[in-house]
Amino acid sequence: MNSRPVLITGLGALSAAGATVADTAATFRSGRPGGGPVTLFDSPLAYPAFEVKDLPRTFLREGLRTVSLALAAVDEALQEAALVKELPKFRVGVCLGTTVASQLNDLDFYRSYRSTGSAPLEPVERYLKGNLSDAVARAVNARGPSLTIVNACSSGADAIGVALTWLRNGLCDIAIAGGADELSRIPYCGFASLGIMSAELCAPFDRDRKGLNLGEGAGVVILETAECAAKRGASSDLFLAGYGSCADAYHLTAPHPEGLGLERSLAKAFAQAGIGPGDVGFVNAHGTATLENDAAEGKVLAKVFGPGIAVLSTKGFTGHTLGAAGGLEAVFTALGLREGRVPASAGFRNQDPLIPLAPVQKETPVSARFAVSTSLAFGGNNAALVIGREVKA
Amino acid sequence: MKIIGIGTLFSGGRGIDAFQQALAKGWQAPSPLACRDRTLPAYQVDLDGMADRTVLKKLRRADKLSKIAVVAASDAVADSGLGAAEQQKMGVIVATAFGAHATTFAFLDGILEYGDAAVSPTIFSNSVHNAAASYISSALAIQGPTLTVTQFFFSFQAALQLADAWLREGRVEDVLVGAVDQVGEVMGYIAASRLAIARDGRIKPFVFSPAEAVPGEGAAFFVMSSRDRGSAYCTVDGLRFHDDLSGPVRSDLDILDADGLSIDESSYISSLVPGVPAAAYAPLYGSMMIGSAFSCAAGALMLKEQRCFASPVPDNPRGLAIVREPADSSIEFIRCIRYNCSTDRAVIELKKA
Repeated sequence: MNSRPVLITGLGALSAAGATVADTAATFRSGRPGGGPVTLFDSPLAYPAFEVKDLPRTFLREGLRTVSLALAAVDEALQEAALVKELPKFRVGVCLGTTVASQLNDLDFYRSYRSTGSAPLEPVERYLKGNLSDAVARAVNARGPSLTIVNACSSGADAIGVALTWLRNGLCDIAIAGGADELSRIPYCGFASLGIMSAELCAPFDRDRKGLNLGEGAGVVILETAECAAKRGASSDLFLAGYGSCADAYHLTAPHPEGLGLERSLAKAFAQAGIGPGDVGFVNAHGTATLENDAAEGKVLAKVFGPGIAVLSTKGFTGHTLGAAGGLEAVFTALGLREGRVPASAGFRNQDPLIPLAPVQKETPVSARFAVSTSLAFGGNNAALVIGREVKA
Repeated sequence: MKIIGIGTLFSGGRGIDAFQQALAKGWQAPSPLACRDRTLPAYQVDLDGMADRTVLKKLRRADKLSKIAVVAASDAVADSGLGAAEQQKMGVIVATAFGAHATTFAFLDGILEYGDAAVSPTIFSNSVHNAAASYISSALAIQGPTLTVTQFFFSFQAALQLADAWLREGRVEDVLVGAVDQVGEVMGYIAASRLAIARDGRIKPFVFSPAEAVPGEGAAFFVMSSRDRGSAYCTVDGLRFHDDLSGPVRSDLDILDADGLSIDESSYISSLVPGVPAAAYAPLYGSMMIGSAFSCAAGALMLKEQRCFASPVPDNPRGLAIVREPADSSIEFIRCIRYNCSTDRAVIELKKA
């Protein structure tokens, strides 16, 4: 494979844990999760969720909450990369993952059609303008490749992996990559119907975990080739070293019980990064707090890294943000490397005897050069990202 | 990258042979799609009439979109001749403009009829965009990277671009890449409200404006390979997006994806090159944002067979050079050209293997 270095020159994150990366880091240090009752829509269901409370008005697009969330995170990432005004000078690709924004599921539109045989088409027009990557590309005037990944819960991680492929194949010089998703009544009902939502705040990897909480947000990284960064006088000690993705080929809704697809994904990501598990300082796990996910993922992480690896799930701070999760968690992984520490895994109290490892229970210093973010998706897809940090001598 | 296997499923039948026969046979009338108090013509896939004891029996709980995708994907893999070990390692990229919208609306039916707490988990599972890709990977035992992507008009082209990049970087040696979409009552209502529907059932691609549509559904899948195989249909020689005008235009035939999804499709005229005949095959399978996948299949067939198929509806008020009769031809290059509603363009360049 082409091993052209790809730097991470900007990070943007928006979730219930904070409106910016810095806010999120502060929430991580405080250890206080932000979940609570749903306020964005009415539902008789009473599962807590993690809503974004302070979406800046500048980025609001009427009826396009996912796009709005993405634009906020993209702006933060571009600000850090010092690219806000410079972007049109480069070949810029946009690859973002989502689930909700890809579906034409406007309940009012459909209710009207059902009852009268006709319905106003404004929701349809909004939907047709709301392809996530296209909408972001238009907003920032990016003219490179554009692709929206709809791979369920690994969408954000896969989008970053696709952007890595683009950059290493010379399809663009800079890529805006990650994921975004809004909290929506439709998946809220759907996940409840699957019996995998918790009525309490989620507790990833905990013995007594009862399921996931949904969340919303956006996580975005700015990736660029080292040559491009050097040309414009930019630098970063963070880089994207590898991406692996493999299907379980097992079941529509359940992960392979032994996590075979995840294990293969990790091996592929290590191969691309040219490292082994021993080079990895910590893993930001998918850790949804469902019985099946955490059991399968925990087994694989213990097998691949050994039970002593520092593992955390940040879903206790953000909820499960679906298509945004892989993007947010890539940002959090990069943040952990940059800050040299990872937060306690919110919600965890007791080790599950069926999971041969426990997540970190207090803020933990890390000094390794590499960290991994894992994603497991509905549909049986798995993704692993290897993120690195150059340690100056 | 080379196209080494093709599978198609559309209103005209299943398999690349059925597609080739449809190309040879010419226009066939669509069937009526009921949308409440009216009907409109549509090219619909009849799964009920399909005899299949191998693939579909693994998909009893799947929805129509997933079944269409798996059948076409399965046929593409079989057509490629790849062995089980190669198949297991291949990548999968499924492109769709709208995903399982009919299933999504069925899920909304559940909310409206029974309430938030009594919806069907099976319907929800099938409504997720990557359900079709999941069924493909499990039904065909494919364990490589498996993605679902959506980019409206350019979903298939973007998927093809990624497949090429995966092959170039060595992530996989073969990729199953294809596109699927379906029509349904609500989508029919939306189409009838937003577009001009060809009431006579004939898409007339060379009329351009006002352009008329006939909604369609189906799937076209391809096995792309970086390996040198003797039986390839053709090579995907290039993909150009938007204003990419680099390099010379090489074409012996231009396939236009004009299908009435924009009211004014005059942009296609600017893409035509003097002396290069044009063809358009949407009248065979219907108007679909992923219709480019069928054009690509038609181009691949023609390059392999060295035979041009006639445009099935040759109405041609501007007197353009179009393919009116099927004929054996010496074809080296074919371009498949698609414009979206913003007149952005994507071109798939095919070359004889």
